Amino acid sequence: MSWSDIFSALVSGFSHLTWQSGFLILLGCVLLYLAIAKGMEPLLLIPIGFGVILGNLPLAGLAASDEGGVLNIIYKAGILTEIFPCLIFVGLGAMIDFGPMLANPSVLIFGAAGQFGIFLTLLLALSLGFARQEAVSIAVIGACDGPTAIYVTSKYAPALLPAVSIAAYSYMSLVPIIQPPIMRALTTKAERQVVMATGEKKISKRVKVLFPVVAGLITMLIAPMGAPLMGMLMLGNLLKESGVVGRLADVSSGALVNIVTLLLGICIGSAMLAGNFLQWQTILVFILGLVAISLDTVAGVLLGKLMRVITKGKVNPLIGAAGTSAFPMSARVVQKEGQKANPRSFLLWHAIGANTGGQIGSVMAASVMLAILAGMGIPPLS
Amino acid sequence: MKDWAFGLTMTLAGMGVTLITLYILTLVIRLMDRLFPYKEEKKKEGN
Repeated sequence: MSWSDIFSALVSGFSHLTWQSGFLILLGCVLLYLAIAKGMEPLLLIPIGFGVILGNLPLAGLAASDEGGVLNIIYKAGILTEIFPCLIFVGLGAMIDFGPMLANPSVLIFGAAGQFGIFLTLLLALSLGFARQEAVSIAVIGACDGPTAIYVTSKYAPALLPAVSIAAYSYMSLVPIIQPPIMRALTTKAERQVVMATGEKKISKRVKVLFPVVAGLITMLIAPMGAPLMGMLMLGNLLKESGVVGRLADVSSGALVNIVTLLLGICIGSAMLAGNFLQWQTILVFILGLVAISLDTVAGVLLGKLMRVITKGKVNPLIGAAGTSAFPMSARVVQKEGQKANPRSFLLWHAIGANTGGQIGSVMAASVMLAILAGMGIPPLS
Repeated sequence: MKDWAFGLTMTLAGMGVTLITLYILTLVIRLMDRLFPYKEEKKKEGN
């Protein structure tokens, strides 16, 4: 072996670097910057950003598609099998407090309105020429729910997984920027100033324990295709509310969800390769995802206005915007906007109720879509 | 045309089932709240 062979072996990483992979490595660095310097969803964006860098390093064998590579093994075991989204839902269930929704169940209806954008975006994606499976996966970004979007996409359109998951998680973190202008545009100042009763009705422990079991059974019997997600969400909540398995609840809402989020993020990042990411299709996915979340907000606020009329002014229409499942970001946005319009207004309690309703609504909407796809015999895309 | 039929079916069924399911859940929650209303817990003596 000559010195020139040794030298070329040592610089092979640089010599195989293309401008496309260089661009994505730069994108990974931007994600790291946003996470660390701007505090945008750091739990997700740091693993995703670093995953993008690792996946695009030439000759490293760390892309999710590099057969036999360490990230390929994790990707296949955790994402393609849909295990990661399900485990995240256990943690999410253990973190969620359904109390505000149980105290005021009528806010659950906002959880349905918050899914309207999903279906309008589906029609839009179909009209733009996306295959049915792809259109469904893109539309689910509107659920504002990363694990659900990953679950549906990995099942039906795995090629879109990097774009859909990045869009879903990015828009979740951008909810405080996306929602307020829509909320202000659709409501008058008088509507935003409405003060809602803050009774904070107390709920018995029995109801809190029974809810995940009963609601889980009902929703899973109606839409069994979503049972892996809904079942895990309700299991996590039961662990928390039962009060007898504190260790399991702590592990679910802490270590488990943290480990899975780390692995999920790094795998998704490493799947973002120049060849499959730098395409018009990816840009369209991002645009449609934004449309979906905006339409969810529009539908929620409009339902809020209707509820205000029906209840003769007792409902602040802003809480409709919390019907998405971006938990608890949407609820915080509603509280902030309500306080801006009227410092005496405290909407957080009601908004959290609508937000948890959105969590259930998004899983239901995705489950129904999966059921229809299966019922029509539409096969997953390879 | 087929895609539009698919999209509309999905929209109607999806929104319809989601709305109905959440409405059923509101009824179930109200029922559970009636069956098991909140009662102030008595403090255990000696604590």
